[in-house]
Amino acid sequence: MSRGLAQRMLRRHWRGGELRLLAAALLLAITTVTGISLFVDRLERALVLEASAFLAADRRIEGREAPPEAWEAEAQALGLATARTVGFTSMAFSDLDALLVSVQAVSPNYPLRGALKTAGDPLAAGAVTRDTPAPGTLWAAPRVLLSLGLEVGATLDLGAVSLRIDRVLTDTPDQGGNFLLAPRVLMALSDVAKTQVLRPGARVEHALLLAGPESALGAFEAQLPEGFDARFDLEDVRTGNRSLGRALDRAERFLRLGGLMAVLLASLAVALAAARYAAQQADAVAVMKTLGATSGTIRRLYLGQLFQLGALVTVLALGLAYGVQAALFKLLAAYVPVALPAPGWVPWVLGTLTGWLCLLAFALPPLLELETVTPVRVLRRDLAQASRKGPLYRGLGLLALLGLLFAYAGSFELAGWVLLGLGGTSAFFAALAFVLLRSGRVLGMQAGRAWRLGLAALSRRQGASIVQMLVFGTALMLLLTLTVLRSSLLDSWRAQLPEGAPNHFVLNLDSEERPAFQQALEAQGVVPQPAFPMTRGRITAVNGAVLDPKASRAAARLTEERNLSWSGPLPEGNEVVAGQWWDELAPVPGLSLEADFAAGVGLTLGDRVTLEVGDQRFDLPLVALRRVAWDSLRPNFFLLLSPGLLEDRDATYLTSFFLSPERQSTLPTLLRTFPSVSIIAVDGLIAQLQQIVARVSIAVEVVLFLVLGAGALVLLASIQSTMDERLREYGLLRALGGSRQRLQGALVVEFATLGVFSGMLAALGAELMIWAMETQLFGLPAQSHGILWFLGPVLGVSLVLTLGLLATRKVVSVPPLTVLREHGA
Amino acid sequence: MELDRPVILSAQRLGKRLALGDEQLSILTGIDLEIKAGDSVALVGASGSGKTTLLGLLAGLDTPTEGTVYFAGQPFSSESEDRRAALRAEGIAFVFQNFQLLGALTALENVMIPLELAGRETPEALARSYLERVGLGDRARHTPRQLSGGEQQRVALARAFAAQPKLLFADEPTGNLDQATGQRIADLLFELNAEAETTLVLVTHDPALAARCDRALRVEAGQLHPEQDSTS
Repeated sequence: MSRGLAQRMLRRHWRGGELRLLAAALLLAITTVTGISLFVDRLERALVLEASAFLAADRRIEGREAPPEAWEAEAQALGLATARTVGFTSMAFSDLDALLVSVQAVSPNYPLRGALKTAGDPLAAGAVTRDTPAPGTLWAAPRVLLSLGLEVGATLDLGAVSLRIDRVLTDTPDQGGNFLLAPRVLMALSDVAKTQVLRPGARVEHALLLAGPESALGAFEAQLPEGFDARFDLEDVRTGNRSLGRALDRAERFLRLGGLMAVLLASLAVALAAARYAAQQADAVAVMKTLGATSGTIRRLYLGQLFQLGALVTVLALGLAYGVQAALFKLLAAYVPVALPAPGWVPWVLGTLTGWLCLLAFALPPLLELETVTPVRVLRRDLAQASRKGPLYRGLGLLALLGLLFAYAGSFELAGWVLLGLGGTSAFFAALAFVLLRSGRVLGMQAGRAWRLGLAALSRRQGASIVQMLVFGTALMLLLTLTVLRSSLLDSWRAQLPEGAPNHFVLNLDSEERPAFQQALEAQGVVPQPAFPMTRGRITAVNGAVLDPKASRAAARLTEERNLSWSGPLPEGNEVVAGQWWDELAPVPGLSLEADFAAGVGLTLGDRVTLEVGDQRFDLPLVALRRVAWDSLRPNFFLLLSPGLLEDRDATYLTSFFLSPERQSTLPTLLRTFPSVSIIAVDGLIAQLQQIVARVSIAVEVVLFLVLGAGALVLLASIQSTMDERLREYGLLRALGGSRQRLQGALVVEFATLGVFSGMLAALGAELMIWAMETQLFGLPAQSHGILWFLGPVLGVSLVLTLGLLATRKVVSVPPLTVLREHGA
Repeated sequence: MELDRPVILSAQRLGKRLALGDEQLSILTGIDLEIKAGDSVALVGASGSGKTTLLGLLAGLDTPTEGTVYFAGQPFSSESEDRRAALRAEGIAFVFQNFQLLGALTALENVMIPLELAGRETPEALARSYLERVGLGDRARHTPRQLSGGEQQRVALARAFAAQPKLLFADEPTGNLDQATGQRIADLLFELNAEAETTLVLVTHDPALAARCDRALRVEAGQLHPEQDSTS
């Protein structure tokens, strides 16, 4: 019988509105989680796909020797696409002149991601091509042709082979932010051997490129022999391109954090709504028990209702989630040129699982406790129900919550900080709320009558008020945290790419050309940025011990020839993390390294490093380790020397300038006037980064919006939970002659006070949580957010007051007699 | 009064104490009671005298701290709560002062609950016939909220008698109604009770209502006394 009755009760309770809040909370939980997961999943796939263009692949295995054939065969067996490249620098000779070029020899299926652009003329704009240079030919960067005074069709000697210049290479996907001193030349891999430039000891970079589904890539990585990283580097989008990797990492963390908070809030709403539903049902259960229902019947009855509701809501929510993310992508269609990969199955399962975990952990316990309601309650309503399993259920609920947290956070660190923030602030909140309520009562003693009534209502329900303040405060805290994190995240992204940031880099400018070049720029109305002296050098020994590049990957990295620079002051975008920067005016000779690089090659402060620059040799102490803002598109150096060691005339200069799109036509003139100078345009890269940031920002805002919805639902559920008591109290007050106006005033006072106090608690909690997250998770500098102390209380009052008055309009509109009849003792 | 009718409900040395901090508050002590099938018995007494507590113990809604309640010769009060519920489903019905209808269900569905709990074959037809019997055939689809107090109590009467109980407990059935409505409800209660020959235990502080029962017992300071000025 209980199934029929369960269905009937479900239908009736739905119509009566008792179940709507529970259903809405559940619906929101599943929709949010599934929606966010679907959205993040698809967006991530799209972003990674796009970002992979910077690597020309999804993964790149790089080394001084060619990665074994067996690996490539393995990768192909796993269904991965593969390509190979060999990179080296070499002199290129025309009939009359010679030029150092950076050669990239590629297999025919290069690039696996992104596209090459070529043109028929050094000064023309490039067009996308799917070809690669045919054997016997090469494609050369515009500067090669301009410097050597050649045209397409001419031949160029590379080592022992003569290759015909077939096209002008205007763009390669994997040039990224690496500044090549020498202009690029692309040739067929099959011609490399003929050049005979790859003698033993030559500086060559071999790479095996891989692309394909993430699962196959993972399987491939798992098959790599142990210790392969002593000889090879494995790069993916994140390690391969630091600025993009950082942006993606942060975005993902933020979206996950948003999902996490939405889950927390939705769970809270489910728990509150279920507790209220259970409290409302206690009388009905007592009646049914009186009429002969056993505990088993009651259990089946409410489990039946819950499961039917759960099943219905799940189906509805999954449909809704699909619609939400589809609509989102439709909105984003203009920004997403990439064909979107279909969403995987994980988000659906995750969403469904979350919904049912929420239901079982937070909605089931109070409903199961209903079976312990004693029938004598029909005679004496004040008899408390004996709850034996309460603590057990609550424990299980908490465990489930922890499980959910970890599942969403995807990292113990993130979940840990959120938990710590919630746990710590909750305990603190409870104590503070108690004090605030006390002070509110004292204040109320001296205030007017509506004030006194409202504040009295708050302190009369002290327990419930503290819980409500905690709930409001927590919801607001999560909202504030997310709002502020969102803006500091967006700010930090924008700061990387400010308007008018240099979009062209100038390399190879020698000290004699410098004034003329500067004049030429100024003549075009372009303001040149500061120039950095640059030369190349290599580390040969550490603490007197000569390094053998073949001994280890670290030694190989250490002895690689690198760009280096010198500077008196610490360059912008650099931060000393260990040691001390030299005195600007009276520098003691020393060396500074980028901190991650130093750690990677095992150098520590105080090591004596032997450096060879041309025919000069320096023995310098490592005095400072720097952290470098790689995500700023500024010239950055792993190695910096104190000034005075190298003369400026030994160097070429690196500078940059901003050229607006409409001025781009002046570039060819510049190139022709200064043929030895190379100008690298990074505006494409900047545009790409900006596009990614714009997309991620929209995703972030959508997440914030969903979390806001969850927060509002929590507030509603929490107000609803004291509804019956309020109805009773205000019904009685109205019966005793309290005017509607006075009671309305009291409600305003009550909710406004609750809002202000919760807002203040939320501001405090958010300040702490944001501090922890910014410094610990997002690697942003710590800062105080004064706006929180304004936003918290204002948001608290407006949200709590609006939702509170809306939810309690029944309190002052239903005739007191009805109220007393239905809710009286 | 026929003497060969069996005793359907009895209590021996029944007592109920509540612990209030360190003190024990005695609500009922040494209650002995015997009610024969078909009897109607009024329990009268002032507010707080313990008559509702006694009703709760007799109906198995609560358990005594001492003594035993017997229902149809079987010790009732010592059974588990679920067993007592099952016994109630089979033969005990209630009418309450505040009606105790389930607000979410219609009048018809409210009447159907005990029938479904007892596993009756055609609960809906039976419920409908009882609703018609109390004059609410056309209000079957209405929820309690849409019914007046008198109408709600009629639904409660239909719910009680539809289950065809052996024993009916009524707790101040007219207490929440105006005099005229109360009168009509009382008439209907006694009419249905006579038709079904149900044993009735009625808690009231209305002497006129008590007077319509076969006998009245006064609960006073937790003890049971025969009502001296009973008109029957």
